Amino acid sequence: MFDISADHAIGLYAGFLALPIALIALWLRPARRTVPGTAQAAAVLMAVSGAIHLGLVSTHLEEPITSALFLMNGVAYVALSQAFTWRWWRLASSALLTSTILGYLLYIALGFDTPDQVALATKLIELVALGLVLVPVRGESRPRDRAWYWAALAAGLPLLTIVSGATIWGIDLATPDARHVHAGAILQATNDVATPEQTAAASRLFSETRAAMLPFDDWHQAWAAGYRPGGPTNMPTSHWMNEAYVKAGYVMDPRRPQGLVYANTRRGPVLLGAMFQMPRLNEFGPDPGGPLTAWHQHENICFTPFGFEFSLMTPFATCPLGAIDLSAPPMLHVWIVDNPGGPFAVDIDPSAVAAVRARA
Amino acid sequence: MNANTSRPEAAFVLLLMQSTFWIAAGISAFPFAIAGEVFMAILGAASLLLASFGCLLAIGLVRRWRRSRRWAIALEAVCLGGSILLLAVPVGSNHGLVSLLVNVALPLAVIWLLRGRKMRELFAR
Repeated sequence: MFDISADHAIGLYAGFLALPIALIALWLRPARRTVPGTAQAAAVLMAVSGAIHLGLVSTHLEEPITSALFLMNGVAYVALSQAFTWRWWRLASSALLTSTILGYLLYIALGFDTPDQVALATKLIELVALGLVLVPVRGESRPRDRAWYWAALAAGLPLLTIVSGATIWGIDLATPDARHVHAGAILQATNDVATPEQTAAASRLFSETRAAMLPFDDWHQAWAAGYRPGGPTNMPTSHWMNEAYVKAGYVMDPRRPQGLVYANTRRGPVLLGAMFQMPRLNEFGPDPGGPLTAWHQHENICFTPFGFEFSLMTPFATCPLGAIDLSAPPMLHVWIVDNPGGPFAVDIDPSAVAAVRARA
Repeated sequence: MNANTSRPEAAFVLLLMQSTFWIAAGISAFPFAIAGEVFMAILGAASLLLASFGCLLAIGLVRRWRRSRRWAIALEAVCLGGSILLLAVPVGSNHGLVSLLVNVALPLAVIWLLRGRKMRELFAR
């Protein structure tokens, strides 16, 4: 969702190219003075959206239905962008914009495409264009049903925006690609199947880390070593971070992991595993176990200093007020308790945490 | 630019969209609050309040309330400043197309639509 698909990039270039052309075309038409500025802006935005759709035809020729839909959509947008003096322009434009947005949502819901930045930006452009088409302007000779336009704008546009965002977000989280896991975390690229040497190296890393972690079964020892819990301790698990080790930048040192993960139980914290963290963003660590020990980087997290809590950034690139969007440097977990996903899984299975908490 | 300019209406649409994005951000905080992150509930509620304020400003723009214009420009300037700061500092914030459109282009467009002496006069009535 936060990337640009290779076959969609051309749509972006077409949109950028179309913007000045649409502005010049509008400027050259004296008839523009007969319509409000909102209609003119909507016409330009529809021209841009049309160009994006037309640009996508060339990279979707192997999908005849998709490319035909892009072609029809693009032509309709471009035609309507030039027909802003037409009597039925508002009705036709709002119908086209709404049906295109809803059609896209259906399209991705059926799995024909995956949302990316080009698609999201195009839907944003279309939503703004829809608002500009619908908004009644003071002093404009408009149909008698201004109240309906206001109602459609005030209720329909936010509703359509929320539905679009929720659908795109839901689909993105439900169907991540091979390198995106764990609510948007990106995995290090590795070979597909571990070699015997990689399996042995992963096993060695696990044994060394588990041995080095034994003292930290007692959380007082971890505290004495400089580890401090981050975030709320009323959650099933907490990450304890050692800021000195984070700053020192030790790389996958089993004796000095940057973090520890504890289960929060009635009898206090119970150690679940360790976490290695790299000092800088986008620099994945050594990967001795190949696919078994792939690092992951959390991106687009909404982090708040209030309670050191986090949530996820919305598809509209917004965070709750008081939280900022950031990414965490690559990390690798080593789970020393039985974890269904394995000792180096990106996350610990809730059932493993529940078992630990039940035992405590 | 005459009294029938549609700039305030265009700004209304953009503010309405921005408020909707804040509503989405506010709602998105609540699942995390339910999972135990209590501060997220407060941030979610604050986001919804901000969205309500944005809607109120949008209505004020259409009705040509003087204070709405000033507050809208101030709000967008703060949003823009925060976004540019986040773009500048290396914390791995999202620099994608949607982020640029929503957090930079949209506030810039609202400020551009409402700026200037003519608009000040229009909102002075």
